[in-house]
Amino acid sequence: MSEQTLKPEQFAKLKKSEHAGELVVRESISAWKDAWIRLKENKLAMLSLVVLLVITLLAITAQYMTPYDYKTNDLANTNLPPNSEHWFGTDSLGRDMFQRTWMGAGISLQVGLYAALVDLALGVIIGGIMGYYGGRVDEVLNRFCEVMYSIPSMLLVILLIVVMEPSMFTIVLALSITGWINMAWIVRGQVMQLKNQEYVLAARTIGASTSRIMFKHLIPNAMGPIIVTLTMTVPSAIFAEAFLSFLGLGVQSPAASLGTLINDALKAMTVYPWRMLFPAVLISLTMLCFNIFGDGLRDALDPKMKK
Amino acid sequence: MKRTKLVSILSMVLVFAIFTAGCATGAKNGGGASNNEFRVNLSTEPPTLDPAQATDQVSFTVINAIYEGLTILDENGDVQPGIAEKWDVSEDGKTYTFKIRSDAKWSNGDPVTAHDFEFSWKRALDPLLVPEPSQYAYQLYYIEGAEAYNTGEGSVDDVAVKAEDDHTLVVTLVAPTIYFESLLSTAIYFPVHQSVKENEAFAAAANTMITNGPFTMTDWKRNTSITLEPSDSYYGRDQIKFSKVSFTMVNDSSSELNMYETGKLDYAGHPTGSLPSDQFASLQQKYPDEFKIKGTASLYYYLINTTEPPFTNKKVRQALSLAVNRNDLTEKVTLGGQIPAYGLVPPGIKGVEDEYRNEVNGDYFKEDLELAKQLLAEGLAEEGLTQLPAFSITFNTNDLHLKVAEAIVDMWRNNLGIDVQIGNEEWGVFLDNRNAMNYQVARAGWGADYNDPISFISLFTSKSGNNNTGYANAEYDELVERINHTSEPEERVKLIADAEKLLIESHSIIPLYYYTNVYLMKPEVKGVYVDFKGDIIFTRGYYEEQEQ
Repeated sequence: MSEQTLKPEQFAKLKKSEHAGELVVRESISAWKDAWIRLKENKLAMLSLVVLLVITLLAITAQYMTPYDYKTNDLANTNLPPNSEHWFGTDSLGRDMFQRTWMGAGISLQVGLYAALVDLALGVIIGGIMGYYGGRVDEVLNRFCEVMYSIPSMLLVILLIVVMEPSMFTIVLALSITGWINMAWIVRGQVMQLKNQEYVLAARTIGASTSRIMFKHLIPNAMGPIIVTLTMTVPSAIFAEAFLSFLGLGVQSPAASLGTLINDALKAMTVYPWRMLFPAVLISLTMLCFNIFGDGLRDALDPKMKK
Repeated sequence: MKRTKLVSILSMVLVFAIFTAGCATGAKNGGGASNNEFRVNLSTEPPTLDPAQATDQVSFTVINAIYEGLTILDENGDVQPGIAEKWDVSEDGKTYTFKIRSDAKWSNGDPVTAHDFEFSWKRALDPLLVPEPSQYAYQLYYIEGAEAYNTGEGSVDDVAVKAEDDHTLVVTLVAPTIYFESLLSTAIYFPVHQSVKENEAFAAAANTMITNGPFTMTDWKRNTSITLEPSDSYYGRDQIKFSKVSFTMVNDSSSELNMYETGKLDYAGHPTGSLPSDQFASLQQKYPDEFKIKGTASLYYYLINTTEPPFTNKKVRQALSLAVNRNDLTEKVTLGGQIPAYGLVPPGIKGVEDEYRNEVNGDYFKEDLELAKQLLAEGLAEEGLTQLPAFSITFNTNDLHLKVAEAIVDMWRNNLGIDVQIGNEEWGVFLDNRNAMNYQVARAGWGADYNDPISFISLFTSKSGNNNTGYANAEYDELVERINHTSEPEERVKLIADAEKLLIESHSIIPLYYYTNVYLMKPEVKGVYVDFKGDIIFTRGYYEEQEQ
């Protein structure tokens, strides 16, 4: 075995620009920022987000944009086609469709948002308890969820609305009475998987309380699936509300949601198509954007998708 | 991902199925004519088919086809013999002797006898009738002893209706009543088979109903459909041309129109269905031979619950009534050529010689916004209130009722500065709530039962089961009593006008407009008409092709 020696001339000085050439560690960024970067690369999801923001903004500000309001009748100007005064035309009682459409969009979005928030609160707490404690608690709660889930939810919703006064509160209540179950199951699965991880054991060893473990360790790590479920809940709640309104069980006139507007317009679809067009386009757009955005979010938040 | 694909495939299949289904029904267009079936939309489930219990148009439409009374009315509203082939009236006009047709039969083959009528009328008067006493019983009070028995003060034996033998019925009235013969053609005077004694729930299913009319019910699918077929035991079987009458129950005007246009209905619109008012103008152009508007002797009005403060105060009620612009309502909202109403009795009802409405001016009040505001303020002050408590307008689920309520709520908001809620209820629930006076302001409509103003006037006596407003006025009751005992026509009309004025000026109801019936009927359908009361009469209808 001959010995090799290194000679100084074998070494060349590295150019300054190549200093970091072999550094493979990337910049330290948080999981959220990471997800955001990946989301930003998804053009379609970003477009959806922008569209949703514009819809939300218009739903809030539209009432200041034209001098009309959503409930004042103008019997001299009924069923007008879209024009410079009434941008979306008027309905059969002469009410401004621009105002009504955006008010409807606002109410639909609110229903979706509130239903999602109730789902989130109930689903995370109950799902967390089921997953964390397991055993008998899990058994009992799980059976309860299964029983609730086996009742046709639309039937339950309609029943509740018939018994209670139709209002936004009732609709949200009715939609979330079974809506949280899905969320609970997803959280339960996540928590069951995460609670055996070492960092949870470590936290428990140094004496962290159950609620601290739950809210500081388990839930943040399960946030991805939770958020994705949430973005999918919003459109399904909006759609359920539209369906209820379509059956005459939704928000009560003169208030309007996109569903009630479409239901009203349907009677004159062949004669005054614009009364149907704007709310229908808006509800389709909202649903589509929420779905695409939710899809994008799922991809962005899934660590396995990391390139 | 897989699931999404499955869902999209499924939905495509569904869309395709709907599309092809649409085509299939399109091709069957006019199918009704070929098999002589007549198809009408009933909108909702009839609450009852017991002639003693029925109070609403949906129930009456079916009952009128499956039962027949002593008399029937023709297209002009004139009395024709029905189950009674002839009758005699005593000289004092108080005693009627009816001769029952010998070929009148029940659907099970039993003969219809005078005893059946005696039994049925006494049953309708029974104060302990199951499931509830008849709300229409007051329409039998013309018979001597009827009121006493119905109110629990008299005996059933004193009710002056008696079957002398199987074919002779003798009725004695309290006072001569000129419209008694036309009254006999209404449901409360229809006979029911005596077997109902053992089965009070007979009217709940097709197979337990024994009827005596031109049609029998062969099928009743709850909330879906009712099928009638000609009764083979009916004495006039050869005059019945339709092989089948099908009622659907679709409570949506655009669906109903759609069904008519795709050939699934032969008749769409009032009285039991409705067409979208937004499309009246275009329908008139599209179907000039099929689109019809017909004035009917019916009033569309709002009831006020006069037992609930602050509506106990007349000024508050009056303010609500004066703040409604009825012209705008009929010309811009309902769009069916309706006539604004400022009285109770609609046009088309006979007075002395001419129509009552032409003889007695029906404008008992004028709309006046300033006065309305002032009255509201005064009324509230009298009740010790500063503003009107929240209340709502209740109506049965229907596009037109919703539109009317929305328009009126807006008028009240603009003219009186009050915010009113609106709420709709399913027909049966709505009727229950209204009868139980569980409302503040409720929609109502009343059609003539027979061609006389008293059909409307007697509605608001304190003993009328259909009053529903809480209005109870001894003076009014007495006036109605006097009207019923007056046979001299001119004096009678004068008393009727007094009663009408008294009621309207109490503002217990808000008259809105006199109805028109707007409907579409296939041009080949003949002999089907809407009578003066606004009922659809189809028992003698036929398809033209068949006659050629």
